[in-house]
Amino acid sequence: MVEKVIEVKELTKKYGNLSAVDHISFDVYRGEIFSLVGPNGAGKTTTVEILECLRKPTSGVARVFGLDVVHDEEKIKKKIGVVPQEFNTFNRLTVKENVDLVAKIYGVKSGLKQNLKRLGLWEIKDKKFEALSGGTKRRVGIAMALAGKPELLFLDEPTTGLDPQARRELWETIRSLKKMGVTIFLTTHYMEEVEALSDRASIIVKGKLFTTGTVSELVSKYGGDIKIVVKGERRAETVIKRFTKNVFVGEQGNIIGTFPNRRDVAKALLSLYKLSGKCRINVVEPTMEDVFLRVVGGRIDESGELIS
Amino acid sequence: MKHSFCIFSALAKHWFRSKTGVFFSFMFPAMLLLIFGTVFGGAGAQTYTLHVQNLDLVDGEPTELSSALINILDSTGTFKIENLPADVDIADYVREHPSFTDYRILVIPENFQQKAMDKSIYVRAGVILDTLSFVVENYGYTMTENQVGSIENGMDVLKMWRENMGSENAEILLLTDEGDTAAPIVRGVISSVINAFNNEMIGVEAVVSVSENQLTQRSFKAVDYYLPGYIAAFIMTNGIIGVTSNISEFRRNGVIKRLAATPLQKSSWIIGNLAHQVLLAFMLMLAMIALGWLIFGVQAIPGPYALLLIFMGTVVFCSIGMVLGGIFKDVEAASAAGNAIAFPMMFLSGAFWPVEMMPDFMQGVARCMPLYYFHDGLRQIMIYQNPTQALVPFAILGVLAAVFVYLAIKITKWKEL
Repeated sequence: MVEKVIEVKELTKKYGNLSAVDHISFDVYRGEIFSLVGPNGAGKTTTVEILECLRKPTSGVARVFGLDVVHDEEKIKKKIGVVPQEFNTFNRLTVKENVDLVAKIYGVKSGLKQNLKRLGLWEIKDKKFEALSGGTKRRVGIAMALAGKPELLFLDEPTTGLDPQARRELWETIRSLKKMGVTIFLTTHYMEEVEALSDRASIIVKGKLFTTGTVSELVSKYGGDIKIVVKGERRAETVIKRFTKNVFVGEQGNIIGTFPNRRDVAKALLSLYKLSGKCRINVVEPTMEDVFLRVVGGRIDESGELIS
Repeated sequence: MKHSFCIFSALAKHWFRSKTGVFFSFMFPAMLLLIFGTVFGGAGAQTYTLHVQNLDLVDGEPTELSSALINILDSTGTFKIENLPADVDIADYVREHPSFTDYRILVIPENFQQKAMDKSIYVRAGVILDTLSFVVENYGYTMTENQVGSIENGMDVLKMWRENMGSENAEILLLTDEGDTAAPIVRGVISSVINAFNNEMIGVEAVVSVSENQLTQRSFKAVDYYLPGYIAAFIMTNGIIGVTSNISEFRRNGVIKRLAATPLQKSSWIIGNLAHQVLLAFMLMLAMIALGWLIFGVQAIPGPYALLLIFMGTVVFCSIGMVLGGIFKDVEAASAAGNAIAFPMMFLSGAFWPVEMMPDFMQGVARCMPLYYFHDGLRQIMIYQNPTQALVPFAILGVLAAVFVYLAIKITKWKEL
């Protein structure tokens, strides 16, 4: 049986009458990348900070490595690494000095060079933090979080504000950390990120947890139908109608058929390939974005705001 | 302790790499010391500019006596003599040469030498007549009638001759600006010179004289007073303004949250900050004293008591900064609060001028401020070499340090940031 690294039950955090986190429950297992996904103000950071022992819960249970976040703060902090949202550090210290500072706080004396090399920071170890680009700063944040050799790493919106190239590079770094056996708790509002990185994910909106599961479970459960889109072949409508009733003509005369199961998709594709080779066939799989739309009834824009 | 040292080391490196931080913590106080030390008599004795218009000329040249008077005034070292030409109209000159310093103009009139000589002879003759009259009245019985008659005849001749002599004073004129606070000093020095001049003219020998002896082994200058005040004031501003804005900035940009998520304890963070400020304070003290020694020859001697008092003062003001940084979440509000406390304290506590110069009420206000005890204690220890006089400052700063460190620990947030 896989070990539970994080256990959250009926966790609630209130500020006055406002519930930032409202009776949420989920588990995180050793070695996985778990994503808490939701728009701005959903309660992601509050949840993460409770687990990091930076906030006290109003009620409910939150355990990290079986330790209570309220009573075992010191023990938990020794086992976790944290990259806060909009990460920052002493900006006039160098990369090496910043990472070394955290290593000393954890009492770790070895592995600095290896840590910096793994994150591609060894060549710029003597550069001041303030002189680095946004993506490199986040990598320094991860290096600092890894300096204490943690078993669990919290990444709070690690790629927010980064350009696509830097974001993808950071994803690679996160994947490599998983391969090292580090359990990763990630918060994000990017659905693409959830799909690219997560083993499992929970959707949280306005403090309430809507659903939890593996990405494929969530997609197959809430993602909706698979679509076949055919361009430049009117006869495709007749072919597709043999396998599904849901066929319509979309923009620019595209023939679109929606399928509730994969078997019919495969049959339809075989038949469509027998048509003349002039048509273009696309299969559109449902995504986490469709899951979110279906579950929450809205979308999250690039800046993280919920659009109903 | 190990963690505190890590924070101390990080903060020190972070600070030393800030040009503005170094400037405001070291260069700014040094510049102020140089400026104030020079302006208020650190480098030499106070002098006053005295314009002199000599109208007592013969064939266009100053008379011997008027020149002698000017030379005596010059030799006092109190005045910087500026000669005004005899043909200049003083009112026009002052109008055409506006100045931010007050004008003090001494006018030596025409015939000054002649009048002074005539009056001195007149006075000397009077003294002779008074003396002869005293001798005849009190010692006439020791003389023959002929001797007494001869003296009285001579006195009659001298009286007649004296009545024909001029008895008008040789009056010099001192012109000063209204509201010139230094005018009494200038007037006093000139009067002393004139008295001595008068005595010399009539041949009076000194009856009463003043002898001088040094009261203490060391002599102090104005800059000796200012130096401990500056050191204390800038340690105070580094603590209250510097620490307040640093703490609120570190909190705003997430550095504190980053550290709070590690096993670092809140107390280690606070101790690290205090240690960093103590290092800065010691460095500031050494820099200021070195500057004072080199430029102004100050008497300040740093010793273990001074270091202990500086340690205590730094802990007080750094803790106040941490309390403010903990109370005000907004960086701008925290800086404004720091300024609102530090600047009035800097000017009202007597750090920059003696408290005795202030009205009674303000002296009471000054004595309510921790900075007063800090600079007063430093002055007693470093300048007067009298640590026993610093017991009250030690006691007060010790109590305040305990109170504000306690408050800093209570108010600094390590959760719910």
